[in-house]
Amino acid sequence: MNGRFRIPRPLVESLATIGVGLVAGGLLMLVFGNNPLRAYRALFVGAFGSLEDVLETLAFATPLMLTGLTFAVGVRAGLFNIGAEGQMYLGAVGATFIAGTFALPPLVHVAAATLVAMLCGALWALPPALLKIWRGVHEVISTIMCNWIAFHLSTYLVIYFLTGAGRADSTRPALPTARYPVLFAESTLTAVVFVAVAFCLAVYLYLWGTRAGYELRLAGENPEAARYAGVHAGRAMLLSFGIGGLAAGLAGASQIIGRPPAWSLYATLGNVTTLGFDGIGVALVGRSHPLGGILAAFLFGALAHGGRFMEYHAGVLSELVRAINGLIVLTLAVPELWAITRRRLGR
Amino acid sequence: MHAQPHIEMRGIHKVYADGTVALRGVDFRLQPGEIVGLLGENGAGKTTLMKILSGLLRPTRGELVVGGRPLQFRNPDEALRAGIGMVHQTFALVPPYTALQNIVLGQEGAALLGPLQVQAARQRVSQLLTQTGLAVPLDVPVESLPIGVQQRVEILKVLYRGTSVLILDEPTSALTPTEVGDLFDFLRRLRAGGTTIVFITHKLREVLDISNRIVVLRAGQVAGEVPAEAASAEDLAELMVGRKIVPRVSRAARPAGAPVLTVRGLHVLNDQGGVAVRGLDFEVRAGEVFGIAGVEGNGQSELVQALTGLRPPAGGELVLNGTRVQHLHPLALYRRGVCHIPEDKARFGLALNFDLAENAILSRQAEPVFLRAMGRLNWTRILAYARQLVERFNVIAPGIRAVVRSLSGGNQQRLLVGRELSKQPVLVVAMHPTRGLDIASTVYIRELLVQMRDQGKGVLLVSADLDEILELSDRIAVMYEGAFIGTGTAEEFSREEIGLMMGGVLPQGRR
Amino acid sequence: MGDHPAEAGTVNARGRRLLVAFLAAGAVALLAYALQRLGLNPLSLLEAGLLAMTPLALAAVGECLNEKAGVVNIGLEGILLISAITGVWAAEIFGNGVAGLMGGLVTGAVIGLVLGLVSVYGRADQIIAGMGLNIFALGFGPFLLISLWAFPGIHLFPEELMVPRLRTPLGGVSPVTIAAVAVAVLAHLLLHRTVLGFRILAVGEKPEAVDVAGVRVDRLRLLTSTLGGALCGAGGAFLPLAWFGGVVKEISAGRGFIALACVVFAGLEPLLALGAAFLFGFAEGFSYAVAVTPGVKERIPFYFVSMVPYVTTLVVVALVIGQRRFPRTVGRPYVRE
Repeated sequence: MNGRFRIPRPLVESLATIGVGLVAGGLLMLVFGNNPLRAYRALFVGAFGSLEDVLETLAFATPLMLTGLTFAVGVRAGLFNIGAEGQMYLGAVGATFIAGTFALPPLVHVAAATLVAMLCGALWALPPALLKIWRGVHEVISTIMCNWIAFHLSTYLVIYFLTGAGRADSTRPALPTARYPVLFAESTLTAVVFVAVAFCLAVYLYLWGTRAGYELRLAGENPEAARYAGVHAGRAMLLSFGIGGLAAGLAGASQIIGRPPAWSLYATLGNVTTLGFDGIGVALVGRSHPLGGILAAFLFGALAHGGRFMEYHAGVLSELVRAINGLIVLTLAVPELWAITRRRLGR
Repeated sequence: MHAQPHIEMRGIHKVYADGTVALRGVDFRLQPGEIVGLLGENGAGKTTLMKILSGLLRPTRGELVVGGRPLQFRNPDEALRAGIGMVHQTFALVPPYTALQNIVLGQEGAALLGPLQVQAARQRVSQLLTQTGLAVPLDVPVESLPIGVQQRVEILKVLYRGTSVLILDEPTSALTPTEVGDLFDFLRRLRAGGTTIVFITHKLREVLDISNRIVVLRAGQVAGEVPAEAASAEDLAELMVGRKIVPRVSRAARPAGAPVLTVRGLHVLNDQGGVAVRGLDFEVRAGEVFGIAGVEGNGQSELVQALTGLRPPAGGELVLNGTRVQHLHPLALYRRGVCHIPEDKARFGLALNFDLAENAILSRQAEPVFLRAMGRLNWTRILAYARQLVERFNVIAPGIRAVVRSLSGGNQQRLLVGRELSKQPVLVVAMHPTRGLDIASTVYIRELLVQMRDQGKGVLLVSADLDEILELSDRIAVMYEGAFIGTGTAEEFSREEIGLMMGGVLPQGRR
Repeated sequence: MGDHPAEAGTVNARGRRLLVAFLAAGAVALLAYALQRLGLNPLSLLEAGLLAMTPLALAAVGECLNEKAGVVNIGLEGILLISAITGVWAAEIFGNGVAGLMGGLVTGAVIGLVLGLVSVYGRADQIIAGMGLNIFALGFGPFLLISLWAFPGIHLFPEELMVPRLRTPLGGVSPVTIAAVAVAVLAHLLLHRTVLGFRILAVGEKPEAVDVAGVRVDRLRLLTSTLGGALCGAGGAFLPLAWFGGVVKEISAGRGFIALACVVFAGLEPLLALGAAFLFGFAEGFSYAVAVTPGVKERIPFYFVSMVPYVTTLVVVALVIGQRRFPRTVGRPYVRE
């Protein structure tokens, strides 16, 4: 306000909610007889303790920034798209198929697997999009139903068509030509993180720098003004679902052709499940902004990676991290908290 | 009825949670059996003050003394028990419930988990109807009642609780002049019976007509208090605004040109599938203001939507400068020179959470001048254009990147009107362009419309504000139930005749 | 006593919906006959269908009341999961299944109350808050499983703790199922025949009117939120204690969202929600029965059968959504100023 450095309000609000979530999680730990301080110390050390840990945090952040983008682009268009789960599963299946079945030159193979994955994600976003546009079906119900259908469908496809020779618990691993190069030997971080960040950047430039992006945001901000401005509501929704599906599909690919050491999809889909829902928290903390989502994904990735360390060293189950995630989302739902927090921190 | 208390509000301050200061130390007193007019611009604090009196809000500082005893109302119920009730500007009626149900809500006289005692309630309410002389159908859902009747239900709701102080917030905004007359007669009867009435308004003519005493609020403080006989409209306007202001816009006569817009046999349906506009025929010529008067809800919204591409007509023809345009999309209409100042800027014309630049191109985002290759926006040009708008139309804002929500209503509308007029239109369609604005912005925008007319454009003005129509229009039509009940030049009609037509009555000797 | 005239305008719509529901029931009966010809036992289908209907009905009826008052709770899924686990825990502590059901009910009530407080006083975005609850449950559920029983996958408990079924001519019917039907009827009577229901319906349409009339908007909404949560919690505890006999972290399997679909289909009317729950429950029971029928189970992989409840929900919601009349303020917090 007068030249001094002032922390932007949205950042403060986001940090405040993370703080509240952590405190609430700590209380839960106490209730069940764990030591929250020890647990959080283990969490922090696990996430940031060494270079490998920071890189690993980035590896965890990669799919999250993308599934967060799915939800964020939905919010910007006035939609509640929680279909990243299902779109991601099918993206992973698509990537696995291309990566494990065909022999293609290295760059082409990686690109093909990535693009097919994104396409699969976008296609799975079509049913809820069309149901919304043609029949006005609320996307909360349709995307969740599609998530469950995708779960069973993907499991079926994996078990019946994609399992490796002699192993029934995961698919054939991606061929070496289809794998993203590993960046550092000691972590699971691969070059796919650059693709993810680039995609988020591209979406940001699209939403704020093009006419179609402006119209999408306007449709979400004020549908009646959007009509007045000649915006086609259905097109905006379709675009939002489409971008969201592409992002989720890419997230699915990142877990297969972008994540050693398995380079394959588990038959339980365990290496892709719940990442879609985690993305909701990422998007909200990132204020539904593609770039904010990258930062928020880093934080949530830290929680995820550190959580494992916390489980190992402090005996607190890493699932609690997801519970904390949920509490953060719950806190973010409350706008009054801003007013109170703002007043406490002074203006 | 309660005993008539002498009511005093002392040193009332009200600061909202977001920091807005609504009232700065207001003293207000009420005697039994009088009508007090509470006058002020939008945002002066009149509604806030009365919401405090009626228990809906709590003052930040100050006290309330009723009949000598200091009281604090924690909710509207306590105020009602003290005999103070308020009829709000937007009715607090449950739309699908009948009048009987709305009146009885909260006072059902039965156990919470027990059945609703309909017969007993009906008896009590019928008694009240006879007592007050107000007629209201009891078993029709209120959403299908005309606004004037809905207002009677609101008043009955308050009287049912046995009030001695009745507060009315802008009660005449949706009434025809005849209905206003009926309301005033009723209020005078109530006053004769000993009820105290507070009449909140911004309309000078009405407040002079009905009040014993007028209190003027400005920016959260009492600017003045005058007995009604001693006051004039000019004095009151000066008190409201704080300086001498000429609230009227002058307009020189000029001959009109060729028709810009021709409407033939226009039929438009409303959302429920009913007929909103029945076979309208009219013209808007270059260099004239064609004003459509009428109470809201007679098809004006649907008419304007049909003219601006937001609602496809069910039948008829629209011709703009020789081309048939009734099937065109809004953007195509804008390209052909139509611009639209919508009836509710926040709902239809602006994206409040976007910044000024993004609002400046709202509805212009498809124009090639603002685009680069491959659909990209040309931000350099957009920002330059937005700055131009802000300067030319005196929009007071912290910056181009400020969020439009942070602007005052008047500045928001200036931005919107500026944007529309910068489209170089041949036809300006303006609906309720100055509703809810401060006097300065109201005068400014009316002057702009007259300027457009002087520059040879056609201006179609739709407004429920009769003064606005009479001031600005060259020709006038009165819209009633989807058709024009009377058309002619501004000089042909008297105010009283227009008032009758707004209520659906054809004056003697008119077609 | 007199009907609410407010319903007069919607009698035709309701009549139409009742007709559709009856036709659907008739189609189902026809289907049952056809199935019998195919070698499937319609009575065992009915039994399975009623079981599947019960948690859906309880959750949906509760949410009907809530949404009639203008509050949305999409966290039903999370409540189902957490109450399933706490219900089993309560059953083990007190040594019988009914205590477990009570435990689930209380859990649901507490969560409903918390969501209500957040929605009413915190003016929360109700859909985000509900989603937060679901994500929380996704993590807290497994956490509870391990903390309580030290085994991450599944927890089985002794059969004595289950709520036994009653032997009827229609097969084994759980008393909870009967209770669910009773609850739906009671909810209908509450909404349309009592003063409380009169006020609940009003507050969903126009909370200002209720506030100005001196009735506490916040208390009404807290009540419906808590009640809705309690019913959902009972439904959650039902899953292990009166049906499956064990609890896993996926026990809710999207049922909370199917319950939301029931609520939408029913236009927030409790009796219609019961009908919708039966429709979806029957679809689920049907899929189980088909899955184990010889001749079918070889040809159709179980995965496709598992999809049936979700596909059914999608189809029904897509076909029937049409003109649904929701209270004007569903999901929007009421602010007095």
